Amino acid sequence: MTLGAIAVKNIGRNLFRTVLTMLGVVVAIMAFLLLRTVISSWMMGIELAAKDRVATRHKVTFIMTLPLRYVEDVKAVPGIKDVAYFNWFGAKLAGKEDQFFGNMATDPESFLRVYDEIVVPEDQKKNWFENRQGALVGANLAKQLGLKVGDKITLKGTIFPGDWPMTVEGIYTTTRKSIDQSSLWFHWKYLNESPVLTPPMKDKVGWITSKITDKSKSAEITKRIDAMFDTRDTQTLSMDEGSMNASFMSMFATLLKAIDLVSIVVLIIMMLILGNTIAMGTRERTHEYGVLRAIGFMPKHLAFFVLGEAAVIGLIGGALGVGFAYFLVNNGLGQVIEEGSGGMFLYFRMKESDALAGLVIATVAAATAAAIPAYRASKLDVIDALRRVG
Amino acid sequence: MAEATATNGNGKPIVIRVENVGKSYVRGRETVEVLSGLNLEIEKGAYEALMGPSGSGKSTLLNLIAGLDKPTKGRIVVDGVDLGSLSEGDRAKWRASNVGFVFQSYNLLPVLTALENTELPLLLTNLPSAERKKRAQTALRVVGLEERMGHRPDQLSGGQQQRVSIARAIVTDPRLIVADEPTGDLDRQSADEILLLLEKLNTELGKTILMVTHDPAAAERAHRIRRLNKGALQ
Repeated sequence: MTLGAIAVKNIGRNLFRTVLTMLGVVVAIMAFLLLRTVISSWMMGIELAAKDRVATRHKVTFIMTLPLRYVEDVKAVPGIKDVAYFNWFGAKLAGKEDQFFGNMATDPESFLRVYDEIVVPEDQKKNWFENRQGALVGANLAKQLGLKVGDKITLKGTIFPGDWPMTVEGIYTTTRKSIDQSSLWFHWKYLNESPVLTPPMKDKVGWITSKITDKSKSAEITKRIDAMFDTRDTQTLSMDEGSMNASFMSMFATLLKAIDLVSIVVLIIMMLILGNTIAMGTRERTHEYGVLRAIGFMPKHLAFFVLGEAAVIGLIGGALGVGFAYFLVNNGLGQVIEEGSGGMFLYFRMKESDALAGLVIATVAAATAAAIPAYRASKLDVIDALRRVG
Repeated sequence: MAEATATNGNGKPIVIRVENVGKSYVRGRETVEVLSGLNLEIEKGAYEALMGPSGSGKSTLLNLIAGLDKPTKGRIVVDGVDLGSLSEGDRAKWRASNVGFVFQSYNLLPVLTALENTELPLLLTNLPSAERKKRAQTALRVVGLEERMGHRPDQLSGGQQQRVSIARAIVTDPRLIVADEPTGDLDRQSADEILLLLEKLNTELGKTILMVTHDPAAAERAHRIRRLNKGALQ
C-alpha cells in the first residue's frame, strides 16, 4: 500500500457522489473538447489551403469588385500559370431557403484548371462546360439537398435579384481538403449577361485566384500583382490562399472568441462542481484527518490525500470525457458536420493534441479545484479535528 | 533535546514526567483553565488508568502526554524528550515512532482492509513494502485477527475493529500506548477481550499504557488508577 493508493481508494467512499461528480467532469470535458474542435476546425481552412494559389481582391474589402480586364493582367504576371475568377452570388435554393450553401459564378474551364483537386466525371464536365445554365454541385451539398445530375433547380437571388433557373450538370468530389464539397458553381457568363446586371455591375469579378509555378515565391508574386495595379483606379490586395481564408474567417473573430470564452466557462463550472464535492468529502472526514494527524501524518500528507483524490476523479472523468468526445467526433459527428456545414468546416476532427490537452486540463483543473479543501485539511488543529464527530 | 531518563524512589525508570503543567483554552472571551499545577510521574512499563468526571481534564492530559497538544504552563517529558520544545512537525514525527493511539470509536479508514489500516503508520517510515506488510501481519496476529486481514471495517464487529486499531497502535513498536475510552463503544464481552489484550501488551511486550476511562471495570484492570477532578489529581 502507498499514500497514492489511499488517495485512489478514497474515491470509492461515496460511490454515488463520485460517479455523479465524474459524470460532471465527463460532460464538461466533452463540451470543452467539442468547442475547442469547433475553433481548431474553423482555423483548419488556413492550414488546408493550397500553397500554390494566390488570391487577389479589392484593396478595401472583398465585397467590392474588380474590373474583368484585371484577370488577363494578372495572368500576364511572371510566375503565374493560370487564373480563375469568381463572383459571390449569395442565392438560396427555391423551396429550401433555410439552407445555407456557398454559390459562386466562375469560368468553368479555368476554375477546374486552377482547382485541379476537384474531380468531375468527364461527361458531366463536358455538359457543364457546354450548358451556360449548368451548375456544378459538391457531393456533400448534393446529398444534403437531395440533388442529382439532370435536376432542374432555381436559385433565388439576394444580391442579384430574381429567379435563376439552372440544371445540375455535374457533381464533384475533391482529392484534397483544400476546397469544400458543399458549394455550387455556375457560369460567370450566365450572371454577367443577365439583364439584371446594369452597366456598372457588368464585367466585374469578386476575386481572382491564380495558380503559381513556384509556391515558395507566393509573397514575391502577390507583391508584383499589387504593384501592377497601384497606379490604377482600383487597387488590389493579393495574398496566398491561406491568408485569404484567414481574412474571411476574421469576420467571425468575435464568435470564435465567444466560443473560446464559453469553453473556459465550462471548465470553471467543472472546477466548482469538483471543488464542492471535494470540500464536502473533506468536511465529512475531519475527525478521520484528526486521527491521521495523531498517528503522525503531516499536514502535507492530508493535502496530498485531498489533491490526489481530486486529481484521480479528474483523470478518470477526463479520460472518459476525452474518449467519448474523440469517438463521437472522429467516428460520425465530424463527418456529419463537414457535410452539413455548407463548407464552413472543411475538416471537423478532434486533434490528438486537443484530446491530450483535455486530459491534462481535467486532471490539473480537478487538483486546482481541491486546493482550498486541501489547504483547509492541512491546517486542521489535531485536537479540534479529533473532537469533531464525522 | 533528549534528557537523561530519571528514576523513581524504587529505582525504576520514569518514562513520563509531568511537571507543574497547566492547560487553558480560550473560548470566545473566556479563558477556561482545564489543568493547573499538575505533577505526575509514570514509570516505564506501567499500566495506569485515568478516571474522573466529564470535563475533569482526563483527555486533555492524555493529549498532552501523547504530544498532540502543548501545555500552557510547565513541562512534559516523555522518555527523556521535552515535548514542549518540539515543533509541531517534530511532535508529529515523535508521535509516529513513540506513541500508539487507541480511540473509543476505533477510527479505522473504511476503504482500507484490516491489514492496510494496520500498515498505515508504517507508511511514514522508510521500510520497504514487503517489510511493512510483514510487520502489519505480525501486529494483527498479536491481536488475534490473522484470519480477518483482508476484511474492511464494515465487515468486522466492534471488538474486531478495536483489535485492528490496537494492531495499528503497536505496529511501529512504540514505547507508549495511550487509550482514550478503548471500551466505550463495546459490549462487556468485547470490552473484556480488549482489556485482556491491553494487559498482554503490557505484561508480555512491556508497553507503557495510559488509559482514560469512565468504566470502573476497565480501570480495575490497570495496575494503578489516578483520579482527576477539576484539572487536579486527587
